[in-house]
Amino acid sequence: MTQLLSARVGLLTPEMKQAAAAEGVDPEFIRAGIADGTIVLPKNRLRGNIRVCAIGRGLRTKVNALVGTSSDRDDPAMEARKIEAAVAAGADAIMDLSTGGDIDGMRRLSLEKAVVPVGSVPIYQAGIEAIERRGGIVQMEPEDMFAAIEKQAAAGVDFMAIHCALNFAVVERLQKTGRVTDIVSRGGAFLTGWMLHNRRENPLYEQFDRVLAILKEYDVTLSLGDAIRPGCTADSLDGAQVQGLLVAGELVARAREAGVQVMVEGPGHVPLHHVETTVLLQKRLCRGAPYFVLGTLATDVAPGYDHITAAVGGALAGAAGADFLCYVTPAEHLGLPTEEDVREGVYAARVAAHAADIAKEVPGALERDRRMARARAAGDRRAQAELALNPEKVRRFLNGVEDGGYCRLCGDDCALRLAAEYFQGGPVAE
Amino acid sequence: MSTQLERARAGEITPEMRRVAEKEGVEAEFVRRGVAEGSIVILRNRRREKVEPVGVGAGLEVKVSASVGLAGAEADRESELAKVRAALEAGTDTLMDLSITGDMDGMRRTILAETGVPVGTLPVYQALEEARARYGAAVKMQTEEMFAVIEKQAADGVDFLAVHAATTVQTIRAAKKHGRTDYLVSHGGGHLVGWMLYHGRENPLYEQFDRLLDICRRYDVTLSLADGWRPGCLDDSLDAAQVQELVVLGELVMRARGAGVQVMVKGPGHVPPGHIKATVRLEKELCQGAPYFVFGPLVTDAAPGCDQINAAIGGALSALAGADFLCYVTAAEHLGLPDVQQVREGVVAARIAAHAADLTRRPRARQWDLEMSRARKALDWEKQIALSIDPARAAALRRDRSRDSAEACAMCGKYCAMQVVGRYLGREQGTC
Repeated sequence: MTQLLSARVGLLTPEMKQAAAAEGVDPEFIRAGIADGTIVLPKNRLRGNIRVCAIGRGLRTKVNALVGTSSDRDDPAMEARKIEAAVAAGADAIMDLSTGGDIDGMRRLSLEKAVVPVGSVPIYQAGIEAIERRGGIVQMEPEDMFAAIEKQAAAGVDFMAIHCALNFAVVERLQKTGRVTDIVSRGGAFLTGWMLHNRRENPLYEQFDRVLAILKEYDVTLSLGDAIRPGCTADSLDGAQVQGLLVAGELVARAREAGVQVMVEGPGHVPLHHVETTVLLQKRLCRGAPYFVLGTLATDVAPGYDHITAAVGGALAGAAGADFLCYVTPAEHLGLPTEEDVREGVYAARVAAHAADIAKEVPGALERDRRMARARAAGDRRAQAELALNPEKVRRFLNGVEDGGYCRLCGDDCALRLAAEYFQGGPVAE
Repeated sequence: MSTQLERARAGEITPEMRRVAEKEGVEAEFVRRGVAEGSIVILRNRRREKVEPVGVGAGLEVKVSASVGLAGAEADRESELAKVRAALEAGTDTLMDLSITGDMDGMRRTILAETGVPVGTLPVYQALEEARARYGAAVKMQTEEMFAVIEKQAADGVDFLAVHAATTVQTIRAAKKHGRTDYLVSHGGGHLVGWMLYHGRENPLYEQFDRLLDICRRYDVTLSLADGWRPGCLDDSLDAAQVQELVVLGELVMRARGAGVQVMVKGPGHVPPGHIKATVRLEKELCQGAPYFVFGPLVTDAAPGCDQINAAIGGALSALAGADFLCYVTAAEHLGLPDVQQVREGVVAARIAAHAADLTRRPRARQWDLEMSRARKALDWEKQIALSIDPARAAALRRDRSRDSAEACAMCGKYCAMQVVGRYLGREQGTC
């Protein structure tokens, strides 16, 4: 039974209890959320002991980090170090997007190294193997796609980004609307190329039930890939994107019916005044399914700083109801991230997620800030470091700095101390 | 000589208004009207010669300011000047010299002489430090000394002065009565409150506000009314002390305008995301549309070490809600003094916030993103780098993070989405 089917029959699974404990909520809240589809709990039935996390309404906004080899850099040891760095920095989940070298081997390594849920994009492997074996992505057989999904599910992947919500209605809408950057999703591009070349409907849409059957068997959470996500702020909320969201809504309903947990992936590049509308539209059309956004990036012009543009967009998206933020690193749009970029990316996304949690009034979120404020007022540097989202950075700064107090330059007549003493003892009504 | 405000009221379009309009891509008459109404200020001391005037306010691009200054035991002029250069390279619109120690006159005069952007200061810092040297304690500062420093800095050519004139006895009472988690986090505000308590007197900057206005009017210095009670944590946001001070600020805005002095208002600080719209709205209402110059704001207290990112989030949301001017926050905030690299990153983070808001409403801002997106689609790397908010960093990262890639970028390697799909959609496709 999947978590969803268990939840529906009123069963509290150990994973639900574990997620509830981590979140500080009643397990029943998690169960009810999974049952109505507003919460997912990604954990493959075959996966061993991991730090599970529940994603969705009423819960802390989660952060995902991306790792993986590429055709230009195939260094599994380095990717393993990135996984460790991401998890140490507080990533709630990671995705292995490998497209280079031994993809199976890298996935095994990711699943072994990561103590958190691991996601993948099986179409990458299917596409790349088709190039190697058949000479091109367009020569890929539908069977190759399903085989890749099956293989990765059997390996223990907890959630999969699959671009099922892409069909000819969407591609035709794209051709009609016209776009500045067309398609920037790699999986979306593989499939669109395949569809146009073969003049055939997307097998992942056409044979969606088959996708669902595999995912159900292993309780893999479906993350409906956003094949048509806008690649620039000018393309945001255009006909093609909204058409894709309509298809996603249709598939969310079918996945739930089949007992498969499902969330929806979202953009991408979104100007700030589109963020609330984008999230509202997703929540409405996809019946409250958890929303997993990439960024969102608030501007196109800041390569080198896209962890910051993503933090700006991510905070606003999270506040508007997005549930899961995929990090963006400073290397975005420029190349592959280093370990340090991964760390920066995770911390930036966590700042955004925490800001969103304060806005959403997630229980306990503001409490951390209150304790930090008290530690600051008391000049307690050790407590400040412990409460910081990035304690390591704070310790590096504070190394050698003495605790609290005033500068002593003015001796006993310190104005700041005078003011502080006046207010000590708290409020006094007159 | 009249101020920009007085001349705008008289219907005159000054060369400064014309210059601001030209840079912003708006009509000069629009700028004149904004200055006349007080919704726009033009930062430029009459004495300052080679400065590029900067307009701040409604209908203009959101501006960014970087703070530097001598502070701490190892303060030295050269290292601060290196930060000034980094901030300018990173594209800051203005600078603030917040020196609190050492040769403050020399530091300020060097920055005024060597830069072409408007410069602001916080004159009470210097008055406090000089009183400390003279009497052994800053709190023994005399009112006359404070005004003498203000006059001196204005005469030197400082374009905008931050002054805590609204941190009055009434605001101290509000804080005492209602309580706070972190009472005073503004350095100038804290010292003034200590001074008022020590001397048992009202804030002289409030009591003798007309005298302050007279100095500002003579040099056409823009008054930046600072918030001594800016909240230092989310818990204190929109509390009695802050709101009481904002009410007093509104009163002083009216008086400044009445005296023909350009005025803007400084704002927080630490603001939970859910308070941002209300904070900006309140300032705009109580201060009758005066430009709002916010410090960050930070949307969480829990991100020391990442506060430039924290401030970018709050700054973008504030600017979206109508804030006009963002004071940068660096990664060293709450922890120490920023180095050159952190200054640079702080400026870019604030510019990202400002631009993210601008592009939601200004066609010209949107055009920048559009050109970048077209360059991406065309895989035109040279153009992408040139259009980047910080081309040097983009170029360095591209070199380093895509070392092995001849074309596209290492992120997708051979499997570039743009290339794969361009072919089938019959779109024109650039090569690297």
